[in-house]
Amino acid sequence: METVAFYSYKGGVGRSLLLANAARFLATLGKGVVALDFDFEAPGLHYKLGGVQSSDFPSFVGGAVPYLIATAEGSTSPPPLEAHTISLPVPTGADGWLRLMPAGPAPHQKYWVAFKQLGERLRLGDPSGQGFMALLDLQARIADELKPDYLLIDARTGVTELGGLATTILADTVVCMLVANQESLDGTLTVVEALKAAPRLANQKPIRVVPVLSRTTAEPPDDERFASGVRRLLELGEGKKSQGKNEPALFVLPHDDVLGASERVVGGERKASAFSPLYKACLELFQTLFPSGA
Amino acid sequence: METDTLNSLVSGAIWRAEQLEAHGIGSASQAWSEVSSLEEELAKMLPAPESEGRIARRGAVRAALKAGDYARAHALAESYAAEGAAPESLKAGLHKILEEDARAMKRRFRYAAKHHSLREARDLARRFREAGAFGLAA
Repeated sequence: METVAFYSYKGGVGRSLLLANAARFLATLGKGVVALDFDFEAPGLHYKLGGVQSSDFPSFVGGAVPYLIATAEGSTSPPPLEAHTISLPVPTGADGWLRLMPAGPAPHQKYWVAFKQLGERLRLGDPSGQGFMALLDLQARIADELKPDYLLIDARTGVTELGGLATTILADTVVCMLVANQESLDGTLTVVEALKAAPRLANQKPIRVVPVLSRTTAEPPDDERFASGVRRLLELGEGKKSQGKNEPALFVLPHDDVLGASERVVGGERKASAFSPLYKACLELFQTLFPSGA
Repeated sequence: METDTLNSLVSGAIWRAEQLEAHGIGSASQAWSEVSSLEEELAKMLPAPESEGRIARRGAVRAALKAGDYARAHALAESYAAEGAAPESLKAGLHKILEEDARAMKRRFRYAAKHHSLREARDLARRFREAGAFGLAA
């Protein structure tokens, strides 16, 4: 199982949307995918992946937050993963499968009650390391029981304990999304430098980082400071290799009002999206991100 | 400080920690840290071969584990076992306490234990706790 975390230093860059489309892309290629929503403060992956439209979601009480509460109590028989995940439909003709572990039944009040309890019971900064171990345990259980080819994690924006652990410890690859301004670039660079220097467990490979510039409507700032930041980002991470060019370039996802609003760039209505620059850019990115899937 | 005074403080601290734990109050781990510190002070005053010295040393390690401070528990156990006068029964007792804790962790995090060394994972968790999110506060 390959774990890919989707991270952004600032919000509103289309992180969950890209994850949802990556999940559909992989399912279309016959891969088994589990999508995990670790954006506990603002969960919404179930909207992006369509889980909220499924008939059983209104009564759904599971998800990552309720699961972690149950295991934080030291249960000797942890609850079945099936009770905390939702099987989602895949695009027509796809051979793969897709399961979502949402954060929980957000935005219903019962979710926020559970989220408050989680903060009290699973202290990630606790000296025992139990919060850290609970996350590793959940990842290992998903690998052993659900056996997906890919685990895609929606990591919390900004600098948080959970976002830090989801990226530095759980992920093999981190997709770092940014928008074309200096604030976003500087914050992303700080985090990417930290990711590359982060200690890992003995059996883990070094973290692979793929920076992605998203929602571009115009050329990035034309100044040396921005250009030098981008060069540094490409030294640390993996860029797009273009024919005839020696230097790699950042992956760029152009803004697209229609497809962005539909939230289905890949695995949606092919007729509508096939000629979209956003659709092409997504495919190009996914082929690099998931070389064994493409 | 007299050992009698320290003994009274330890007894009071244990009672308090047990009560907090029984009522599920989050500060129980801090109370167990206090117990461990008091037991450690007592251990400094009582030689390892004496019965009370052995009890204090085991108590310091056990309370550190109850506080969730795995690194401190191991450091204390190693230093007590390395004392020249430490009897074999004390060394075996300390080893048993740590083994029981490791087994409990393995039961609780059974899936992670199949993929990773839990001791290594705990050490890494401590490093992340000290260095803050993404290690940015290091």
